Amino acid sequence: MTTIESTAIKPDKTALPVSAAASPTMAALRQFARSPAGVVGAVVLLFLMLATLFGPSIYGVDPLDIAGAPFTPPDADTWLGTDYLGRDILAGLLQGGRATLTVGGVAAIITIVIGVTIGSLAGFFGGPIDTALTKITEFFQILPPLLFAMVLVTLFGQTLTTVTIAIGVVSWPSAARLTRAEFLRLRNLDFVKASRAAGAGNGHLILLVVLPNALPPIIVSATLAIGVAILFEGGLSFLGLGDPNTMSWGLMLGQNRNYVLNAWWTVAFPGAAIFIAVLAISLIGDGVNDAINPRLRKRG
Amino acid sequence: MSDGLNISAPADVLLDVNDLVVHFPAGRRGMFGPPSKVHAVDGVSFRVRRGTTFGIVGESGSGKSTTAQAVMRLIPMTSGQIVFGGENIADFRGERLRLARSKFQIVFQDPFSALDPRRRAGDLIREPLDLLGIGSPREREVRVKQLLEEVGLPPQAADLFPHQFSGGQRQRLCIARAMAPEPDLIVCDEAVSALDVAIQAQILNLLKKLQRERGLTYIFISHDLGVIQHFCDEIAVMYLGRIVEQAPAQVFFSAPLHPYSWSLISAAAPPGPLRDRLKKDYLVKGDPPSPVDPPPGCRFAQRCPFVVERCRDELPILQVEAEEHFIACHRTGEIAPPDFASL
Amino acid sequence: MPPVLSVKDLSVSMNGTKGMVPVLEHLSFDVAQGKTMALVGESGCGKSMTALAIMQLLPEDFRVTSGSILLDGVEVLSASPKELRSLRGDKMSMIFQEPMTALNPLYTVGDQIGEVLRQHRGLSRRDAHAQAIQFLKAVQIPAADKRVDAYPHQLSGGMRQRVMIAMALACKPKLLIADEPTTALDVTVQAQIFDLLSELQDDTDTAIVLITHDLGAVAELADDVAVLYAGRCIEQGTAHEVIARARHPYTRGLMACVPHLQLGRMSNHASAELDEIPGMVPPLGARGPDCAFLPRCAFAGAICRAQPQPPLDRIDAGAAVSCWRHQEITP
Ligand SMILES: Nc1ncnc2c1ncn2[C@@H]1O[C@H](COP(=O)(O)OP(=O)(O)OP(=O)(O)O)[C@@H](O)[C@H]1O
Ligand SMILES: Nc1ncnc2c1ncn2[C@@H]1O[C@H](COP(=O)(O)OP(=O)(O)O)[C@@H](O)[C@H]1O
Ligand code: SF4
Ligand code: SF4
Ligand SMILES: [Mg+2]
Ligand SMILES: [Mg+2]
Repeated sequence: MTTIESTAIKPDKTALPVSAAASPTMAALRQFARSPAGVVGAVVLLFLMLATLFGPSIYGVDPLDIAGAPFTPPDADTWLGTDYLGRDILAGLLQGGRATLTVGGVAAIITIVIGVTIGSLAGFFGGPIDTALTKITEFFQILPPLLFAMVLVTLFGQTLTTVTIAIGVVSWPSAARLTRAEFLRLRNLDFVKASRAAGAGNGHLILLVVLPNALPPIIVSATLAIGVAILFEGGLSFLGLGDPNTMSWGLMLGQNRNYVLNAWWTVAFPGAAIFIAVLAISLIGDGVNDAINPRLRKRG
Repeated sequence: MSDGLNISAPADVLLDVNDLVVHFPAGRRGMFGPPSKVHAVDGVSFRVRRGTTFGIVGESGSGKSTTAQAVMRLIPMTSGQIVFGGENIADFRGERLRLARSKFQIVFQDPFSALDPRRRAGDLIREPLDLLGIGSPREREVRVKQLLEEVGLPPQAADLFPHQFSGGQRQRLCIARAMAPEPDLIVCDEAVSALDVAIQAQILNLLKKLQRERGLTYIFISHDLGVIQHFCDEIAVMYLGRIVEQAPAQVFFSAPLHPYSWSLISAAAPPGPLRDRLKKDYLVKGDPPSPVDPPPGCRFAQRCPFVVERCRDELPILQVEAEEHFIACHRTGEIAPPDFASL
Repeated sequence: MPPVLSVKDLSVSMNGTKGMVPVLEHLSFDVAQGKTMALVGESGCGKSMTALAIMQLLPEDFRVTSGSILLDGVEVLSASPKELRSLRGDKMSMIFQEPMTALNPLYTVGDQIGEVLRQHRGLSRRDAHAQAIQFLKAVQIPAADKRVDAYPHQLSGGMRQRVMIAMALACKPKLLIADEPTTALDVTVQAQIFDLLSELQDDTDTAIVLITHDLGAVAELADDVAVLYAGRCIEQGTAHEVIARARHPYTRGLMACVPHLQLGRMSNHASAELDEIPGMVPPLGARGPDCAFLPRCAFAGAICRAQPQPPLDRIDAGAAVSCWRHQEITP
């Protein structure tokens, strides 16, 4: 912190820093930009997003069209080869990325929204509300997530929407526990009491006082939740429970899984895409974590 | 338990706390035992006159902060009445309580944890005005600048974040914020204890100035008797959740009557032969016992040098000893108080 | 007899983002056997840094840039890590401000005191345990033979600080550094701890460096005082002399701004205003060559602005001060 001590003639009561520091949010962003892992992750993810957004129209091959003989290995025409029906794998990757990344993002949002809502109410109010919500959270937590998601998808139909919601619904308990713990810690701090004394009601306290201070770990876990959701989607599709009508990386894996020994490229490329996306996201998570919890941020 | 205190409330009483009890749950005794309770505040009654400063002293854990926060309606109370400006605010709920808060405010001990680190100083000071709907947005901005000025900070301070201020400056911010809704009562819970002596003097002078200018009433909590003597008109000594002695400052520091007050005073007396004598005769040993399920009888009995059988069985009640001098001890009058003059 | 601790011209700097920033400048003092030296000053004036430099426990980024620290004739600054480990504990030890964080929550207090004894004195486990009980008794912990098996969180703050003292004294060090040992404690307990320290000192003849901002404690416990301001010693002398006749405006200000308890009939609390020292300690990196107290000083004159801060000037046997105008100021 730079403070300029004025050499004023009269004793000076009010030596203040010369200028306002950036807000904690800006400071964290700047810190993020300095984290190599975070920056690499962000660049890779951005590349993936742009590729899936604009790739299909640039590449111009319909992923559902037969582009060549089934199981054509990668060659000059079909760069990444074709699958068991002869469809172009690169086109599939470009198209399927949209669904995969969207499922990841939306499912993570669902996870966080449910988790944060339940966790913050439990942590903030405590008492019977906490007991009840914690019981519910524990109930959801002991259900095996993959099995539970499979049941949901089987019951409500194999559409992308169901898959997304199912992933969100089975993954929120850890976010809820994290949020609850943060709220329990923060709600007794003096500045929360000070706000209440200043006339803040419960809604104001939860949303504008406690939540912003609880956000750092929640943001880290939200980032990771995206990665988990992508893996989850892959897993469900691999088991044949994805949306069969929407191209996604998971679907490509699932449909080609029987041919992995004769035509490795049909599985390796979608697998690699998932791997790279999840890796990039977890690198971003690391960067965010560094930015928010600077262990060795220097003073002076 | 306020038997001794039932004199009719004079008109200049701003706050009248009656038999305040705050218990916290404390798990169970053993695995199947009855649930234990922390008797943080156990039947506290006192009155604060308008425009004066009411001091509360006591060791940590004696219930000073709990009393303060219960009176501020920041933590749930077990029972009791809090009559503030003629109304029992202990009964206030929801919106009514929220709006009533403009009249009583609090300044906390630790100026580092009492300010939301993510918001700028100006926003923090404006928060009570926004929340309580005081003035138009433009008037609020003006008021923020004016408050900063009053606590001795320049207007640019409004744009800074709490971590950019020193401890003393942060405490000024906390005071400005407490002043914002123009309260009648401000509770200062160890408001200067975390500060260096030089900064402490600045803040004490600031609080005095604000009291002079606006006729504020303070409840001033501290464990530093020197500060209490300098700052307070009336003094209450707390021990394990109860007031054991209460008197006007002059009386308290010339003729204290409770053995625990003697101990506190002997620990804080200025160095010299007087202090050595006092410490030898009156300073108690050991630490305060736990407020979890306290034994019956005088709470001070375990450490009191003057304890007799009766003290262990029967809880002494706060009673009037002289005009405005209240005391809770079975042996008042039997044991000779320290004579400061002769020493 | 040579002093137990002799600090000469000690300077410490921090290697910050803007290069080396002075933290402590040219500090010198001696502590003899059985004597107590008090370091006083506001937060951030460098008291703890002095203690950590003596213990060679400075945080990374901090470097001793000049001076020498002789402990019982041994130069601490050039000691190897192995020598240091045996110096710490054997010859010097330290008690910290916050007794909770300074004790390991996972071990009983008996184990922690015993560990020190076993390491430095090669006692067996059984002997160490027995000795630990003796030490707990020495620091007046009631029911020491039971408390020896307690974990730190089961003890009150006062008892934890007693345990810290027991641990620090376990190897009969020649020098004990106490960094605000009572700040976190209650007043009655503070008085007990100070009494305990001075009793133990009478028994063991340990030299003590006491860091505090409680001038009452200085009057009671210390033989000598050094007042630090912004990393510089601005007044030094016998406790008696400094308290009775403070010469530096900062020392005088520090004493005047504390409301002293007055007892008896004449106690007149209506004293309207406390004397205050305006402003605050300049932060690291904002300290120029001129008197560091200048922006806050009510006595500052032309000479103070024209000249750099004067060196600590010995006035008589009992006092030294660093102020251009001390003669005009001191009555
Ligand atoms: N780890 C650190 N990194 C950067 N600066 C530090 C660090 N520790 C201390 N300082 C700075 O070094 C200076 C001296 O600090 P020191 O802890 O010695 O003060 P002190 O006199 O002991 O104060 P207190 O009464 O608060 O304990 C201060 O300006 C402080 O801000
Ligand atoms: N939220 C709480 N839950 C349980 N015990 C509490 C809580 N707050 C305070 N206490 C206990 O109540 C007693 C009084 O505390 P407090 O009012 O903070 O004391 P003081 O301010 O006098 O130091 C202490 O024993 C403390 O541990
Ligand atoms: S009632 Fe008894 S134990 Fe309590 S303070 Fe009086 S003499 Fe001491
Ligand atoms: S040298 Fe000057 S400015 Fe510094 S303390 Fe002395 S009188 Fe004040
Ligand atoms: Mg308290
Ligand atoms: Mg320190």
